[in-house]
Amino acid sequence: MKRLSSSGHPALAVRPERGWIGRRGWHVGVLILIALAPLVFQDSYWRTNLIVCSINIMLAIGLDFILGYAGQLNLGHSAFYGIGAYASTLLITKLGVPFWVAFVLAITLSGIAGMALSIFAVRLRGHYLAIASLGFAVIVHQILLNWISLTQGPLGIYAIKPPPEIALPGLPSISFSNTANMFYLVAGFAFLFYLLLDQLVRSPIGETLAAIREDEVSASSFGINCAGWKVFAFGIGSALAGAAGAFYASFVGTLVPDAFIITESFTILAMVIVGGMGTLIGPVWGAILLTLLPEVLREFGDLRLVLYGAALTLVVLFMPGGMVQAVEILRARVRRSPAAASGGMRP
Amino acid sequence: MVTVALQQTINGVVFGSLYVLVALGLTLIYGVLVQINFAHADVVTIGAFAAYFFTFAFGGNYLISIGVALMVGAALGWLVNAAIFAPLRERGSELLPLIATIGVSILLQNAMLLWFGPIPYAFDSPYSNEVIRLWGGTFITWQNVIIVVVSALTIVLLYAFMRFTITGKALRAVAQDRETAGLMGINPDHLIMLTFVLASALAGMSGAMLGPILVLTPFAGTTVIVKAFAIVIIGGFGNVEGTIIAGLAVGLIESYTTQLINPGLTDIVVFTLLLLMLALRPTGLIAEKREETV
Repeated sequence: MKRLSSSGHPALAVRPERGWIGRRGWHVGVLILIALAPLVFQDSYWRTNLIVCSINIMLAIGLDFILGYAGQLNLGHSAFYGIGAYASTLLITKLGVPFWVAFVLAITLSGIAGMALSIFAVRLRGHYLAIASLGFAVIVHQILLNWISLTQGPLGIYAIKPPPEIALPGLPSISFSNTANMFYLVAGFAFLFYLLLDQLVRSPIGETLAAIREDEVSASSFGINCAGWKVFAFGIGSALAGAAGAFYASFVGTLVPDAFIITESFTILAMVIVGGMGTLIGPVWGAILLTLLPEVLREFGDLRLVLYGAALTLVVLFMPGGMVQAVEILRARVRRSPAAASGGMRP
Repeated sequence: MVTVALQQTINGVVFGSLYVLVALGLTLIYGVLVQINFAHADVVTIGAFAAYFFTFAFGGNYLISIGVALMVGAALGWLVNAAIFAPLRERGSELLPLIATIGVSILLQNAMLLWFGPIPYAFDSPYSNEVIRLWGGTFITWQNVIIVVVSALTIVLLYAFMRFTITGKALRAVAQDRETAGLMGINPDHLIMLTFVLASALAGMSGAMLGPILVLTPFAGTTVIVKAFAIVIIGGFGNVEGTIIAGLAVGLIESYTTQLINPGLTDIVVFTLLLLMLALRPTGLIAEKREETV
């Protein structure tokens, strides 16, 4: 069996603790950046972009966990994103469930959907899973489009409320119709999910997943329950997509099925690959770059997706480790140490 | 009732035979290379646009435009292999070529969108309005006759080529075991190139025939390719006979679903079938006696 990952995974490279700042330091730095971002960007246009960016980060790290860490070729991430968005919205509007309960239920439901697909497809090799997940995404999109009594089909659902205000005693209440607060909420959760996955991949679970990804037969000969762990990884990754969907719906305020067509899966895939599959920080960079760069290049018109396609192809051809690999190479060149140059890429 | 059933059967066979053409390309490439080519969709679309511009901008004959689309498809196939699959082959990854061709597909679709615009093109084949009346009120347009006849001829020719020529034999040898075939003096690189050219030529010509019966936009190929993937899996990856049966079956199922249940549900039915197939019989309709290497 040809392995999915024989292209070399940066995840396998031994990651040195970062120099003089340390991991904790980086986390504080990121929190400060999140805190400052809405103050620097006062206009709603850029704040909107920042929120979309945070949502995309959630999607990208979730997909990377499935794809880069568990080695499962998932082309249906848009489906879990859509399930999360529609589930939370319908729970709120049709059943009157409070937002945060709906949020948790949406995450659960997306996770269960992911696990169900994974259980279903666990016997399948890479390409079969790719097509199965693609088919799953088509089915979900078509159901959203055709179950008109529930989803209003192509007409969409409008005027979805933002998350309810949080009123802490003694403090002014926090309204999420304010874009700055919404950004703090979504970015905060994206950061939280990142930390969660970071813990996971550093734990023995991460090593188990790597073992399965690299050689399933050997892994199972060590007594690892490969099927079980694959389902687990799929569940976690798609649950994060569910969270992203719930935030998307409550932020944008309208839902149409076409927001979750299979092309969306490819867009998320592009973020993961361009950033660097199999590392957690890579997809974050990929999501930021591919969300913000097109906005910067807006004057070139509809080039956005042309750019995505070109980036995806070129990265796969010339730098399969993505931006992470590029940074490693640059770093190595700065230090002029040839040993470090091979650290990021294993051809 | 019988009339309706008959009419839907005709429509099903028409679409089914085009699906077969597209899916055969995918399955040929998979058979030889064990790789999925997402850019196949855009070869279909570009084939359709090539035929459109040949007939309308240059006033060419529609039947000749099918040949033009075939040539354009073949050229694109050569390009996709030379630019994407050949450089990535030595890395031996299942994932990278797939992702790279997704990239190519996004690139081509959106470049076409910029170029041709989002408004569907009215590709009126001169044969679309001429109807042959059949028994009991059913009818078939000349366009559909052309589709079925050309597809059937192509499939028979391809089959004969694979069965009876030395090159076809070599192709099958490479599909079975690339390394051993190499030892027997077959140059796998040439045959892989040939496979891409053949497969994409099929996609191009099916585009030319799909154009008039489908909504011609830059995304036309995608709707077809997603079904072609389902067909390839239902038929068994790399299995030519299975692909032909599955393609016709999917065409018919679609057609009956449209009539009996709801046109919106066709994709759901087809893909539920795909998932069921994967769960129950992942080797496809016709189980292949190929050994799995672990």
